[in-house]
Amino acid sequence: MFRKQFGNLSRVSTHLSRNVLAARVASREAEMSTNAAPAEAATAPPVVNEFRTGVGNPGEHSDVQIGKFYTIPMEEKKQIFSGGGLPKQYEQQIKTFTEACLMVRSPALELLNYIKRADLSKPVVRYVLYGDNGVGKTLSMAHVLHYGMLNDFLLVHVPWAPNWMKRPKESANSASQEGFIDLPFDAAAWLVHFKTQNSKLLERLQLKTSKEYVWSKRESTPAGSSLIELVEHGIARIKYASETTAALISELKQLATAGQCKVMVAIDGYNAFFHPITRIFSDNKQRVSPDRITLTQPFLDITNYDWTNGVCILSVDKIAMTEGYMESYLPRYLLGKEGFEHLDPFVPVHVGNYTEKEFTSYIKYYLDRHWISKTQPGFEEQLKFMSNMNPYTLMQLVRGL
Amino acid sequence: MATNLVRLLEGSIRSNNAGVAQRTLRVFSSQQQQSEHSAEDDEEFRVLNLRTVKQQARRRVIKKEVVPPPRTTHMPVDQDWTAVWSGPRSFHPASVPLPLRQGYTERGAAAPSKYANAELMKIPNFLHLTPPAIRQQCEAIKKFCTPWPKGLESEATWKAIFPVEVVTTDYCHSLPTIRHPEARRVTITLKLSDLKFDAHAKDKFLRLVGDRYNQETGVLTFVADRCPTRKQNYDYALYLLTACYHESFITEPWEASKSEADMEVYLFERNKAKLSAEAILNWNANGEKQAPSATYADSVEKLINEGENEYNIAKYKEEVLKMLKIAN
Repeated sequence: MFRKQFGNLSRVSTHLSRNVLAARVASREAEMSTNAAPAEAATAPPVVNEFRTGVGNPGEHSDVQIGKFYTIPMEEKKQIFSGGGLPKQYEQQIKTFTEACLMVRSPALELLNYIKRADLSKPVVRYVLYGDNGVGKTLSMAHVLHYGMLNDFLLVHVPWAPNWMKRPKESANSASQEGFIDLPFDAAAWLVHFKTQNSKLLERLQLKTSKEYVWSKRESTPAGSSLIELVEHGIARIKYASETTAALISELKQLATAGQCKVMVAIDGYNAFFHPITRIFSDNKQRVSPDRITLTQPFLDITNYDWTNGVCILSVDKIAMTEGYMESYLPRYLLGKEGFEHLDPFVPVHVGNYTEKEFTSYIKYYLDRHWISKTQPGFEEQLKFMSNMNPYTLMQLVRGL
Repeated sequence: MATNLVRLLEGSIRSNNAGVAQRTLRVFSSQQQQSEHSAEDDEEFRVLNLRTVKQQARRRVIKKEVVPPPRTTHMPVDQDWTAVWSGPRSFHPASVPLPLRQGYTERGAAAPSKYANAELMKIPNFLHLTPPAIRQQCEAIKKFCTPWPKGLESEATWKAIFPVEVVTTDYCHSLPTIRHPEARRVTITLKLSDLKFDAHAKDKFLRLVGDRYNQETGVLTFVADRCPTRKQNYDYALYLLTACYHESFITEPWEASKSEADMEVYLFERNKAKLSAEAILNWNANGEKQAPSATYADSVEKLINEGENEYNIAKYKEEVLKMLKIAN
């Protein structure tokens, strides 16, 4: 409790000091701008040194850039990750450092290589990211998502699937399917997330629905209306958000198979769909298993192999499970028999701790950002031993330096 | 009154036969006898002695045996040790010509010597199993042995030719009957790898034999002791082995109803993995069907059956990439 408060305090204080700094810098810049030409921060060529790379397009990343940071432009970051997709603490770090930097790491590169090489006319390939806690599965996924956005993939991105099973905003009995549970707010939130990620591309592609969807006596979405209309209907009529999600995803599958668009499915914490223990209760106070939640069906459907022109990036995570089911981080264990059968054959991609090179690069980046200010001799070695080169542990450790 | 009577008699007795009268009088009273003695010799005070001389306890003189010096002192150097110590026996200091010491003492002091040393008597000794003694005994029983069969020199050869090992035990004991109840027990062991099976038969055989099969060593063990004689038990054990073996090759009609939940191992052929792999390989394909490769099937089976580890996952990944034609 105390520690938590202390952590909050320290965070607040760092924020304050940083804000003061930023204000000072801003004022200085303002002074300079009165004297000289205005500095063009946005269009300035990106800084290149031993831990940064100027290559901003994930499609062009290769082994040369391993261990280096690249910057995601703020608008793109806002478009992809405004509805989640980056870990909370990393988000804070981005805010503090005033730049969205991602390290180019081998798991993401491996995935990108596979995606580039794979034949899109073949059934969709499922890639499963796995690894211990805090090794960067979500950030590897973020890297690939950035690639997908830049390469005209429609993103079907669930930032953290266990949220639906563990802390749903609201649950209601489904009107259309007997015995099923709707999560209307979560579904609507996901639709908003989908819209922010894909609105530009949807406008450009002009995708149409294939059939008429009748929601109630008076409401329906006629065949041939655009997907944006469908999504907006779901957002406006929260009651039908779950059904809209199902409709949208089945439409996307059809459209992708017909070759009208490319779809990138990215689901973090995918194993939550197969974990029988949720915190949703039905009317008779019984725990509802994920297969009785209407939102589960479409996402299981889109991770099936029966469509083309797409790619599925899923991550399995220990934290998505509940206590007693966290012995191993390996995919077969986390997915269970059912989940494994659903995904098989998938490509497991292991995400591990930092390598030596990545670690030094990260330390340099922190020093560059003045995040580490106390540099006693040998502090790198000490950090290495204390964090075991685990990215999350390292991030936690350097918070106090 | 008695004294009066005595005085009366005394006069007459003294006159004729004193000896006889005295003997008859003694029975009347001791008091009377005493007075008589005092009358006879007054010069010494006599001690009353109620017991006869014979009855008096004589102090026993304890005669100590002469302890001979320990035998070790006059043992010849070239004596026959097997004659001295012929069988298993607890330690005896005077028979062992060795300056042995054993036992706990204060620090710095020497350990207690072999005389009256309980520590040495407690521990088992092998003084009867010296190399010459063993040699001598082997020499003695040699005439009962037959030569080792030719062609069975190495263990591998005789194990290959005689895979079944039969173990029985004979007991030598002193009872009115020579039949020991344990002597009828027959143990048959053999390696499972010496029997030839197909997959179904092996599975069924292992279920039939149950815990008679040791999974770690791969050895089958049949123990028979239910019949009264050894011969019958031996026959019964062999019968068990034969019956189990042949029974395992029979497929009963109800065995076909074995469902996936009853399976003890994951088989690629019976599972959804095969269907998915086939569907992906034959996507939009007309004509001949493509089957998933055996190595892929093997990797899936290994992943499930052996459990997950980094190696099995890596192998599975490699096979999937090959099958989906992603890698290179």
